[in-house]
Amino acid sequence: MQEIVTALANGSIYALMALAIGIIYSTTQIINFAHGSVIMIGAMSSYWLLSFAQMNFITAMLLAVLINIVLSIVIYKVSVEKLGDLTNNSRWIVTLFGAGIIIDNTARILFGTEPKAYPYLFDGKVIPIFGSKIMVHEIMMILVAVVIGIVYQIVIQKTNFGRAVRAVSFRPDTSRLMGIRSNHIVLICFAISGAVAAISGALIAPITFASYTMTYSIGIKAFAAALIGGLGNTKGAFIGGISLGLIEEIANMVVPGGLKDAISFLIMIIVIIVLPGGILSAKLFNKGELNAEKV
Amino acid sequence: MLQVENLTIGYGKTEVVHNISFHVQKGEIITILGANGAGKSTILNTIVGLHQAKDGSIRFQGKEISKARPDQLVKQGIRLVPEGRQIFPQHTVLENILLGAYIEKNANKIDSRLQSIFERFPRLEERKNQMGGTLSGGEQQMLAIARALMTDPTLLILDEPSLGLAPIIVGEVFDLLKQISSSGVTVLLVEQMANSALKISDRAYVLETGRIVLEGKGEEIRNNSDIAKAYLGSI
Repeated sequence: MQEIVTALANGSIYALMALAIGIIYSTTQIINFAHGSVIMIGAMSSYWLLSFAQMNFITAMLLAVLINIVLSIVIYKVSVEKLGDLTNNSRWIVTLFGAGIIIDNTARILFGTEPKAYPYLFDGKVIPIFGSKIMVHEIMMILVAVVIGIVYQIVIQKTNFGRAVRAVSFRPDTSRLMGIRSNHIVLICFAISGAVAAISGALIAPITFASYTMTYSIGIKAFAAALIGGLGNTKGAFIGGISLGLIEEIANMVVPGGLKDAISFLIMIIVIIVLPGGILSAKLFNKGELNAEKV
Repeated sequence: MLQVENLTIGYGKTEVVHNISFHVQKGEIITILGANGAGKSTILNTIVGLHQAKDGSIRFQGKEISKARPDQLVKQGIRLVPEGRQIFPQHTVLENILLGAYIEKNANKIDSRLQSIFERFPRLEERKNQMGGTLSGGEQQMLAIARALMTDPTLLILDEPSLGLAPIIVGEVFDLLKQISSSGVTVLLVEQMANSALKISDRAYVLETGRIVLEGKGEEIRNNSDIAKAYLGSI
């Protein structure tokens, strides 16, 4: 029971991280390789606001979200927008990697190299469920992820902005003919992605410790989850995230701890080979769904 | 209303359109004829701001617009119905139409325009909750035009509206353009279907490999069989 909750809790956060990658991917068809660093900054900045500025969790979280929004907009402006038409070049791969490394090095100087113990929500309170001791923090991880997933889905499906996001992701030039400023939509998607990254970073930090190395220890899992589930949609992000959470817990039981990530990525590679569009592209999930023409 | 002067357009180092000039007056239907690769779509995309000209000027109602963005031009009343219709296949028909009104923030205006569009295109109302991609070619063309009408444009530009449609549907599309024109909208279209387009046009320009080689009244060009043979293939 405890293992299942842990798998679901970690999986929910991986799902949030994958969702944030998907938000950017869906409108630009690029993968934000600096995303791991953005998650790390979300965790580190909220840690410092909590421990040194002595803020309460909500204020620290709001400020960390704000910091990440600004950071993401800067990343977009500097490493993406300047490149022009993204379909004709792949320079974004290096500019985004570069941005990530710059952020990581800066974080290392600002926050030091020592991993910090990040406080659990509700002081790590444990409640008994079906005879197992479950941490309230883990339940919060699942709840927050599900709420963000649902809100995001409603915004994308039901609002003017969401319609425009879907339009830009399908036909960017035609969207501009509608009067949609594709660049603005992409910028807002970067901002949303940064905000979600801050929340996911802060929620996973108590489990992993907060450190500038989170980019690799945690950020890299965002890519695995995004690719396992299928890039660019909420359902895929959650399927990928939860699958990754479960794979890790199972790997934990059967192989030495050091191999856990290797197993996760091995499975990611297998999924990509067998189902290039991620688990969600399997026939099972697409029964009777129309294959709309893409002219 | 629209004045294009000495327009030169290229992609990278390749020049596609060379120093062309033409104009569209208020209330007219103007056709630009030309074979594939003559540069027709390039000209239209440049007018609406999707592509930047190398040289020359484009003026709309007296104002220079050659550097304007597409969204600014939509606000000024220029709408392009792109080649191949380019509807959003995974948005519903209603969502497609609403996307057409993206820049319009007044809900009452959107409502009343939506009503008049559904009166004009009852098929679209019947199918408003269907995905755009499930419509037939003709219905998609109607949707693409309906979407453009959602901002009450003063200049409606169409890139090969007859492309890939059955002859009977082509007739319907051109009848519709005539109706739209008589409701006070100026229409500029490029076509390969010379005959049907010329029938409804006040004036026409013939474009050949990026140069305007001929201009005249719609009827004149239609009745000139030499022109037809030389530039348009068979009519």
